[in-house]
Amino acid sequence: MNNLFIAATASSPEVDFRFDEHRLSLKGEAYPEHAAAFWGDIIAALRDYLERRDAAQPITVQVSLAYFNSSSTKMLFALFGALNEKARAGTPVTLDWFHDADDDTMFEFGQELHEDFPALTFRSQVIEE
Amino acid sequence: MNDPRAMEARATNTTNDDMNTRNCEHLQSFCQCAEQRDVIFYYVGYFSQSIIAAMADAVKLRVEYVGAASPTRRKLFSSFIEMAQNIVHYSADHYPNSDRAEHEIRHGSVCICTVGDRFYLHCANPIQEDNAQRLREKLEHLRTLTNDEIRREYKETLRSDTPEESKGAGLGLLTMARDASEPLEFEFGPSSRPGNVMFCLKATI
Repeated sequence: MNNLFIAATASSPEVDFRFDEHRLSLKGEAYPEHAAAFWGDIIAALRDYLERRDAAQPITVQVSLAYFNSSSTKMLFALFGALNEKARAGTPVTLDWFHDADDDTMFEFGQELHEDFPALTFRSQVIEE
Repeated sequence: MNDPRAMEARATNTTNDDMNTRNCEHLQSFCQCAEQRDVIFYYVGYFSQSIIAAMADAVKLRVEYVGAASPTRRKLFSSFIEMAQNIVHYSADHYPNSDRAEHEIRHGSVCICTVGDRFYLHCANPIQEDNAQRLREKLEHLRTLTNDEIRREYKETLRSDTPEESKGAGLGLLTMARDASEPLEFEFGPSSRPGNVMFCLKATI
């Protein structure tokens, strides 16, 4: 299936889902006008990819979001929920959660994800200055 | 200089100069007034997604320039975006043709002030009178919560179904309450628009 690449804009992150390499990445700031529509399309592509493959090839997810708005938070939860399901079904999924050293909000959101989606191998990563 | 047309032209110029001086004074006194009231950013007008993105840049530069610490800058930015997007989604004052457009455009205002190491974010927009009561109850409830309770409610809301009346995740006010160092303040005032009240919200960072 085709990879998914969406270039960053001022209010939406770069989405670089290399399905052929099993590497997914989100980078930038996320406050799209219609969060449900923006993330909905991305989650649909992700689900499609997850359904098509059954090999035990590990998936790596790198998330480096400097900011996301309140309406993006739930959509992110849905996205990681889909990955967690896949991990529970036996595909190793690693989530690298990048945050600035002094960004408590982003660090804590990572902890929420870690708690809710225990099947993911969660790695909290501090962004080096 | 006996040419009457030249005289007339000069007279017109003089009048324009006077007017320019007065306009300039007008703007200067406006800016001085804003400065005396510790305003570092102010906007009143139409809000759309692209206007918000441009303002977001301006706000980032401004709060960095005034020397806010980076955790404060992040909280300010977060609350600013929540307020501005609330205006785009919920202000009762639509730009006339925005109903037909893909992108909504609605009227409101935002203001950022700073005193000492505190920042105050204000926003105002008209809302339908019918929606005021529900909003009041929500905000009054938030004001009774401790920081721990706000975090707990945030976590619960994050994992629950989105309320019907919300265009986002129903997390906007909770996010602002979480980022603020004092309870959110609010007020409903009279609006010149029939059936509307003016909703004002203040967050202290």
